[in-house]
Amino acid sequence: MSFIPLKERSFAVRIMNDKIYKLLQQGKRIDERSPYEFRKITIQTNVVEKANGSALVSMGSTRILTGIKVELGTPYSDRPNEGVFSVNAELLPLASKSFEPGPPDERGIELARVVDRCVREGKAIDLEKLCIVPGKMVYILYIDIYVLDYDGNYFDPSVMSAMAALATCTLPRYSAAGERLEGEYMRVPIRDVPLSATIGIIKDKVLVDPCSAEEGSLDTSIVIGMDSASNVVAIHKNSPGHIPLHLMESIIDIAEEQIGKMRALFREVVGVG
Amino acid sequence: MEQTARPKLIDENGRRLDGRGPTDLRPLRIEVSVLEKSDGSAYVELGKTKVFAAVYGPKEAHPKHLSLPDRAILNCRYHMTSFSTDERKTLGMTRREVELSKVIREALESVVFLEEFPRSAIDVFIEVVQADGGTRTAGLTAASLALADAGIPMRELIAAVAVGKVDGRIVLDLSDVEDKYGEADMPVGIAPRSNTIVLLQLNGKMTKDEFRQGLMLAQMGIQKIYQAQCEALRKKYESSMREA
Amino acid sequence: MPIYFSEKEVVLPGQLLSDDSRRAGEGTYVMDGKVYASTVGAATIRDGKVEVITFKGPYRPAAGDMVIGVVSDIKPIGAEVDLGGRITALLKIRNVRELTSLNLKIGDVVYAKVASSGLRGVFLELNDQFKKINEGVLLMMTPTKVPRLIGKRGSMISMLKKVTGCNIMVGTNGLVVVNGPSPAKEFAAISAIRLIEREAHSQGLTDKVLAHVSSLVGGEAKHGADGKA
Repeated sequence: MSFIPLKERSFAVRIMNDKIYKLLQQGKRIDERSPYEFRKITIQTNVVEKANGSALVSMGSTRILTGIKVELGTPYSDRPNEGVFSVNAELLPLASKSFEPGPPDERGIELARVVDRCVREGKAIDLEKLCIVPGKMVYILYIDIYVLDYDGNYFDPSVMSAMAALATCTLPRYSAAGERLEGEYMRVPIRDVPLSATIGIIKDKVLVDPCSAEEGSLDTSIVIGMDSASNVVAIHKNSPGHIPLHLMESIIDIAEEQIGKMRALFREVVGVG
Repeated sequence: MEQTARPKLIDENGRRLDGRGPTDLRPLRIEVSVLEKSDGSAYVELGKTKVFAAVYGPKEAHPKHLSLPDRAILNCRYHMTSFSTDERKTLGMTRREVELSKVIREALESVVFLEEFPRSAIDVFIEVVQADGGTRTAGLTAASLALADAGIPMRELIAAVAVGKVDGRIVLDLSDVEDKYGEADMPVGIAPRSNTIVLLQLNGKMTKDEFRQGLMLAQMGIQKIYQAQCEALRKKYESSMREA
Repeated sequence: MPIYFSEKEVVLPGQLLSDDSRRAGEGTYVMDGKVYASTVGAATIRDGKVEVITFKGPYRPAAGDMVIGVVSDIKPIGAEVDLGGRITALLKIRNVRELTSLNLKIGDVVYAKVASSGLRGVFLELNDQFKKINEGVLLMMTPTKVPRLIGKRGSMISMLKKVTGCNIMVGTNGLVVVNGPSPAKEFAAISAIRLIEREAHSQGLTDKVLAHVSSLVGGEAKHGADGKA
């Protein structure tokens, strides 16, 4: 049983829009959560042995699998002392009937770029430690995100699963001369754990972690990424519609509070953050 | 990453690299109804091979001109995650994935009562999360369970496994290394009730006698997988009947 | 005429049920004179026929069904109604004026009777049973479990309505609209519907649902729960 996933249609169901807003006016939500309550989060790491790092994160029924593969390559010429990472995301057709098979569409690319922004601007990885021979040889991390089951809000669990996979990712070690040190491994050097909170807006009301039944009724929504010092490291308004200006400040406060709670959870399971 | 010399795949005691005998399956785990949003789903783990399958439909076929007036069309996509293999797989569908999607679809078409849903489409999605040999057969095993889980009428289930020739021996359920360095790999899909072959491929070289032996061995492995499939389905649905 | 299952046994596609092809009922097929299950379900004998009651499965529209759907398009010949993301039906009208007077908009939820279903599509009837639903929570449940939500001669649904005080409209296609006097009562009704869907085939379901929903509604609905359904 599920609520009709409204995003999966090109039109919103009128009575659901009315009901969701009416409930919100009373501080309630359609799945019995309070407005500032994210769904149950579970984090499992090292779920794919062939990946250097991997994590399966669920937020309610939304499930995200991230795997990291490590290769060796040359650094960018303007950053000869830094390793390289790239983020890719695919909305698998397994996950929802609104996801089509084929190369990542704009939503997949958007998701990848939002996660990339959080990880990059949140200075999650000490990229200099991913350099083996300056200008010649660095680690390249391919962070690949797959949405396995989609019940709304794939942003927050994706950022979290990318971070959980990074924090548990192991690399084969090399000497300063670029020789493989047989049998020796190291962890990806983590500097910070940026996380995100997605906030939905309906008229003058605000909610966190929208499920798919709510997504179609939102006026708009916005993803806020923050590092462990509560600096804002990424902002991404991800749907049409407007946000009343006077709400923006409280949106940042709500995001901070949510990310704080998520971080506590993350630290408990993954051990960093 | 490193290219090593061809390893010895079977030792003097007849043990394979992972300690199995020639006729042993790897540890098998099967679950159904594992994905919330699809109409039916299943997960199959065979050793390190890990595969999800999900089914959507039957639903109206679109675009409409692709629909058939007398039966449903079955779409199938076999796909691997980029980190499922030793070397990172490039994004997008490879020629191999396109071929496997087709042979799996055709195997499934042979058991689904497509004629019950004219002008409709049934979508089957197989996602290989980790590939350690036998992914198409594990995918077919999972897909047939996902169809059953979706309540789609079918003649029977399908169970599948790979057999092959490794160091001159006919062995069951090839791992990735055995597939890579062995002499032959033969994926077999069987509908066990009617005892018919619904998928059969061979890559490599075998004598006619070895082929016969391989097919017999596959049947034996498939019986075990079929039992596990039935158990997983019964477990799932009997528990929903008992709960009160 | 041997039977190869025990009553309410969970059977699987391809499982042999009977040697007598004349007894093949729903959820079965005949091959070489024998009856086999075609879906996962509980096997039973009803009116002398061997049947498999499926646990999950697609909605198959039939004339006379009362369904709930969402208007997905307005066309000169009528309104297209989405019956749950799998099937689109057409609400036929005699003239455009009829459509204008209904004041239907895309996204409206309607309750209607299936006039016919066949190769040409599914058609809904614009009769006096037709209703536009103006308020409530729209839910989706497995269509095969709708009969359990309704219960024997409507016993389950009327008990639910009584105890929760909610108006509950049920479409044979698995769409349900719940509208109640308070969020708490709506949540109680939704939670009960979830329970019915999860445990549709278990014994003593009505009592279990009654206990569940009474505990959720609490003192609020004491006066409503005295007449046990």
